[in-house]
Amino acid sequence: MATTAMPPAAPKKVNRVGLEPADYKGNRSTLCAGCGHNAISERIIEACYELGVEPYRVAKLSGIGCSSKSPAYFLRSSHGFNAVHGRMPSVATGTVLANRAIMALGVSGDGDSASIGIGQFVHLMRRNLPCVYIIEDNGCYGLTKGQFSATADLGSKLKTGVVNDLPPIDTCALAIQLGATYVARSFSGDKKQLLALLEGALVHRGTAMLDVISPCVTFNDHEGSTKSYSYVKDHDEPLSDVSFVPYFEDITVEYEPGTSTEIALPDGSRLVLKKLRTDYDPHSKVEALRLLTESHDKGEIVTGLFYIDTERPNFLDLLNVVDEPLATLPESRVRPPQSALNEVMDSLR
Amino acid sequence: MAREFTIGIGGAAGDGLDKSGDTLAKSVSRRGLHVCAYNSYQSVIRGGHIWLRVRISEQKVYSHGDRLHLLIALNQDSVERHAPEVEPGGAVLYNSDRFSCDASLLGDGVVPLPLPVKEITKDLGRLLPIMQNTVALGAVVFLARLDFDSMAGVLADTFKHKGQAVIDQNVKILQAGFDYAKERFVPLAKEAWNFSGMRRPFATGNELFALGAVAAGCKFYSAYPMTPASSVLHWMASHGERCGLVVKQCEDELAVVNMAIGAGQAGVRAMCATSGGGFALMTEAIGMAGMIETPVVVVEVQRGGPSTGIPTKTEQGDLNQVYGASQGDFPRVIIAPTDTTDCYWATVESFNLAEKYQLPVLIISDLLLSEHPETIEPDALRHDVPIERGELVNEWPEGNGPYKRYACTPSGVSPRALPGTAGTEYVSATDEHDEEGFTISDVFTSPPVRRKIMEKRMKKMEGVIRELAPPKLEGPEDAPVTLIGWGSTCGVIREARALLAAQGIQSNHLHIKYIHPFHAEDVTAILKKCKILIGVEVNYSAQFARYLRAETGITVHESILKYDGEPFEPRIIAEEAKRILAGRPINLDVTKEDAREMAYHYVRTHLADADRPAEIELADGNSHGESLWRVQLVDRASGEVRGELKIGVKTGSIYAWEPLTAART
Repeated sequence: MATTAMPPAAPKKVNRVGLEPADYKGNRSTLCAGCGHNAISERIIEACYELGVEPYRVAKLSGIGCSSKSPAYFLRSSHGFNAVHGRMPSVATGTVLANRAIMALGVSGDGDSASIGIGQFVHLMRRNLPCVYIIEDNGCYGLTKGQFSATADLGSKLKTGVVNDLPPIDTCALAIQLGATYVARSFSGDKKQLLALLEGALVHRGTAMLDVISPCVTFNDHEGSTKSYSYVKDHDEPLSDVSFVPYFEDITVEYEPGTSTEIALPDGSRLVLKKLRTDYDPHSKVEALRLLTESHDKGEIVTGLFYIDTERPNFLDLLNVVDEPLATLPESRVRPPQSALNEVMDSLR
Repeated sequence: MAREFTIGIGGAAGDGLDKSGDTLAKSVSRRGLHVCAYNSYQSVIRGGHIWLRVRISEQKVYSHGDRLHLLIALNQDSVERHAPEVEPGGAVLYNSDRFSCDASLLGDGVVPLPLPVKEITKDLGRLLPIMQNTVALGAVVFLARLDFDSMAGVLADTFKHKGQAVIDQNVKILQAGFDYAKERFVPLAKEAWNFSGMRRPFATGNELFALGAVAAGCKFYSAYPMTPASSVLHWMASHGERCGLVVKQCEDELAVVNMAIGAGQAGVRAMCATSGGGFALMTEAIGMAGMIETPVVVVEVQRGGPSTGIPTKTEQGDLNQVYGASQGDFPRVIIAPTDTTDCYWATVESFNLAEKYQLPVLIISDLLLSEHPETIEPDALRHDVPIERGELVNEWPEGNGPYKRYACTPSGVSPRALPGTAGTEYVSATDEHDEEGFTISDVFTSPPVRRKIMEKRMKKMEGVIRELAPPKLEGPEDAPVTLIGWGSTCGVIREARALLAAQGIQSNHLHIKYIHPFHAEDVTAILKKCKILIGVEVNYSAQFARYLRAETGITVHESILKYDGEPFEPRIIAEEAKRILAGRPINLDVTKEDAREMAYHYVRTHLADADRPAEIELADGNSHGESLWRVQLVDRASGEVRGELKIGVKTGSIYAWEPLTAART
């Protein structure tokens, strides 16, 4: 049989830890075609690839809902934890405290975070736990046939004609007020902005909260919905043009002098923001909250990095947890020192 | 008969009773005597009625008992309510500057011992009101023939952080109380104690849950404050840094248990503790731990329910809840420790079971067991406890093929890899999943996979039960009556049996520590040979008796139940057992003592605490359709009759308050 000599394969593109983009993929999505969540999964794959994240160091944590299923669709080689509804923030806290070497990537939805899990959400923001917290925000409960969630806009209408009569919870405003140190909003359809914000979030050392508007194509993508592709495209007001520069790449982002701000991230990476609005300072909580309130009143959806603080101590710093992961301490160090136990016994006498 | 002496201290919250009780107890435990104490308190910061009993004995005692030799009354209320309980030969010690002790309240052979605190301490500088307790303790040292230096030593330790001047002042006050008593009173204790000199630790169940956890290598403790579990949190918070564990007070119990599970999943030994209301919030997550096979230890310290109930009172009413926690069938262990020392060892065992079998272990305690302090044997708590982590996968070489987190094995236990172990990545899904962790709940579904994975999880229970020591019958096998208890009542049942034996009634005792899995075969074999079976439980509906029937098909003949918030005392169980043996039906009528307590409640809620009950007599009910207790109320200060309260003997309803004179102005 004649054999045809194959031309030598082109060297595969790999990142700095020697992995290909395919190594960051997950299972095939079972979500609806066109679901915003799938686009977010793709950006997570790209961001982790570009940063050279070691997948086995990542814990993907989620709650319940369409959003919370999505961790199955990226980073196949990472640990996953599908918790019960609304409880991902505390599971993530326990995980990170037990093993600080783990990079916690939380994926939640608007129902999971703003409704049933709001108590957990606000307290996670307060803790400034080192983790990425993504809300895949479609304003409705897709998995149970599209009922309103607590981020649905006032006056927003369901396909069935039901009108939402309560104001939405702005998870970004809450996160800023409560102490999260990296707070941004993006749109699942804005590839460039979402990727840069995700990359910044992954290297941040505190709670990085990203609210990503992610239309539900089945239940909430129609006229009357403020979380539809068309509404968001028409009303999206990017705050700035965001570029992320990893610490291991010496790239200069070219913006006209005086129009951009550079933010140094803890690992040496940089976020470069090209101002689209005049003089917005992402280090000011007051400005961030004013911006969110004003744009909300105008019916605009502002996207971009609202707030960042690279100085505030995170939860691990505050708790004085030992440097090595508690989960892998040898038995000799798991037991308290004999002297400590003797002191306890003496105090009982 | 071993010598023993019980001292009661009655007062209001804020009077510093617990501190005084501690001082008293430690002063004797340091000399080698045994102590068992119980504090009956209320959910208020100041006021209310606090009643603390300290039982001192030369031999080990298993409950706070039901006797009273000396009452220290810190207010009028305590004199009135507890003076009648003092045994002949006993005494009532009270601050005579502040109130009086009406001789009519005292039984025969009980003497009032007034302490004019102001006069006694007039040369000792300005005193805080709380220091009246120290004067009384000085007198107690003399009356009960305790060791003055030992008590002075406890005070020195207590006030060490406040400096020598404060220590000196307190010791002088103690001395003044002792000297005053020595001049005027005679000792109540007949003979000197035989002090062994062995310093015995004095601890509560909650302290030993915490200490047991720390010794077992627990590195994560989360909690939300809830009586009567809070003292575990307090202990952990004050010892956490020294013992190297993370202690986190959370926003609610949902966060508490989920955090502990998150930590357990990542590989540290994690525990949390709560009471019934908090546990109700935790139940969904406990099922999650069962489903994703994550070790976690949860302590449920029961208090009086339902709902908010009686937060500072004891009960065993949460058995149904703990047993029924969370939806679906999942493997879990329920352990009910039987005494204070057992709180330590049950915790150590719980961590080992949780990790070896990768499941939630629920420890069910109650206010009595968790909060009452008692002396324990100095060598009862070893620190080099076994730490068995079960099958762990520390590395997974590439040639091994895919790692299956939930591998179906003959034992049902799947070797566990911790997140962060390269090559072992998996998803812990609360949805049903296959061996590798792939969910079978959405696009993929498979009834046989579901069946086999459920069987795999439940199979672990067979391994668990083989590890647990089956219960044993205590006492003569052929005794005419068997008392059956679970958890905290072990000691009091043992003492009730001694009381019965002293009256010529033989009995034996089966006590259950491992609630689930249950030793059904062993228990059935034991009980089949027993005669009259009596369940003893601190709840209304005999929850354990129902469970016993479900597990063994054996029905107890009768149950002795208590649900008034106070723990059993030996005499109550012995008397009820005798009633049952005599074939008499249970009598739930309001007793004369009950009527008196109910009158106090009425006085407090309606009459501004100005009156107290005096004469009480039984009368016909006339229009009320039941007999009545007619309780005469008199003015607390003058003794003048104020009127009469009518209380239904059957229903306990307060039918009428009939004042004799016009309302006070």
